[in-house]
Amino acid sequence: MLFRRIYQFLIVYCLGVTGLLAIKYATGLSNYVIPDLTLLFDTARRMLTGYFFDVLNTLSVTVLGQMVSIFMAFFVGIIGRKSSWLGSFIKVMAYNIQAYPIVALAPIIFILMGDGFLSRLLIASMICYFPLLLSVLGIMASPIKDIEHFYIATGRMRWQLEVKIRAFENLNKLTTVIAGSATLAMAGTIVAEFIAADQGVGYSIRIALYQSDLARILVALFSIGIIISVYQGILETVGEQIKTKWFAPKGGELL
Amino acid sequence: MNQKSRAGIAIRAGLMILCIMLFSAETPAVAGDTLNYRLKWLFNTSVAGDIIADTGGFFKKAGLDVSVNEGGAGKNAIKELELGYANFGVASADQVIRALEKGADVVVLAQLFQVNPMQWIYRSDQPEIRELSDLKGRHIGVTFGGNDETIMNTLLAKAGFTSKDVRISSVRFDFTPFLKKEVDVWPVYRNSQGVILEERLAAEGEQVKFFNPADYGVAFVANSVVTSGTMLKKHPETVKAFMTALLSAWEFAVDPANEPQVLAQIKKKDKGTKNNIRQKQLKATRPLIKPDKGTKIGIIDVGAWQQTERIMIQEKQIVAPVDVTSRLVGPKK
Repeated sequence: MLFRRIYQFLIVYCLGVTGLLAIKYATGLSNYVIPDLTLLFDTARRMLTGYFFDVLNTLSVTVLGQMVSIFMAFFVGIIGRKSSWLGSFIKVMAYNIQAYPIVALAPIIFILMGDGFLSRLLIASMICYFPLLLSVLGIMASPIKDIEHFYIATGRMRWQLEVKIRAFENLNKLTTVIAGSATLAMAGTIVAEFIAADQGVGYSIRIALYQSDLARILVALFSIGIIISVYQGILETVGEQIKTKWFAPKGGELL
Repeated sequence: MNQKSRAGIAIRAGLMILCIMLFSAETPAVAGDTLNYRLKWLFNTSVAGDIIADTGGFFKKAGLDVSVNEGGAGKNAIKELELGYANFGVASADQVIRALEKGADVVVLAQLFQVNPMQWIYRSDQPEIRELSDLKGRHIGVTFGGNDETIMNTLLAKAGFTSKDVRISSVRFDFTPFLKKEVDVWPVYRNSQGVILEERLAAEGEQVKFFNPADYGVAFVANSVVTSGTMLKKHPETVKAFMTALLSAWEFAVDPANEPQVLAQIKKKDKGTKNNIRQKQLKATRPLIKPDKGTKIGIIDVGAWQQTERIMIQEKQIVAPVDVTSRLVGPKK
């Protein structure tokens, strides 16, 4: 899973760079518009280590932001799963708030909270949170009738059991959504850094943009791509392991 | 070869041709066709002459059909020249020098700002900055990766300071750290943001001063009009007509006698700024474009360009000299 993610990224990245180079040579553009391979490798030699640590810095905020949003999404999703007035209210609120572009709120967050760690964390969590919430709400609000009926009929249904059944039956979907939200959390952190932070890879990309240096941007994108692929690969592997554990009865064979 | 693979090849070939056509499409550059002029920033008083050239009919009188387009954070006139999206543009000296280092075919037709509007603002109740040594111990804002960082580094090196002698903070889009007095000395464009901040603080009963690097021997060139070497070679008459019209418009725009007309034209393009601010911005723009009556608008200060290139080498913004003077084709000082 981990290596497949990295291969996939490398194929996409190489295709992208090849496309750019094709345009460059087909239309005779200078290195100022699209860098050639020599410049790209030279920039990578100078900048890659720095960008690697910048991405790690960004990733630390991403992981934390994603954890916060997963916790929030499950908390709200579990409360909002009921067809009671509270559940309906939470669902309506979630659907309406997520329609508002978080990036538009980012400048206000930076003005109020400064350009430190908290602003980055908040924006990353917010960007990652809403799509997660919508998926969790959808999963938690859909009864698994065949199974739940038995527990309801026997009077043994509790809310914890209900949540467990729905999570278990939708484990594949949940794992995919959580792994996918890693990209959103990373994008959120980078957007936050790009707008106003003073560290992280988004901030480095902003500097490269000031200087119209596409080679640096491509190297930064490479660092981001590799690290996010590894992170997503790890999340998927962990998801697989959890699935295997859940599906295997204690001391027994896989179903 | 089966039908499926033939269709695949046809699609790929089509996409490639489309791609090449898209990026190689040159914008027309001969009389009678629309010329595209890409500014560096949004429409505001800072580009008064460019606005007047368009709305005041200067281009039309010269027989040119010019589309004056706003710039912005993601816009780069030199790249657009190369991609064929623009015929003329406004770029800062550091952009020109960086482009030359990477092989771009760009030439400088005129230097619009004789004095760089990039300056630093500070409150009058703080000790005045008379000498570079007065920067010691100050909390200074810079945009990392921006011109102001390069300029400030040069000033600090000139003063013999190290990073321990001052406190440097990263600057972002809003002025909050300066307004909250977290940063003492804040970079601004003297004729646009400088005026706005001055007004805001005056409303709070605070007075400000400006610290101009040029007063301490650092003349880092700002905005200039550029075109491609090919355009100059193939259409010298169009370039000449364009520059004559543009510089006449700038002469008109900075003449105090034309102030009401100029402000009315700017207002059409820059609706978000208050009238009194626009007026003050125009007043602040005049000495940057035409510092004295004898200065010919657009004249290229070769010494300042050479200094800008030297600074960029010292600051490791470029690796090797680019001989920028060979690309300065407009009238020189």
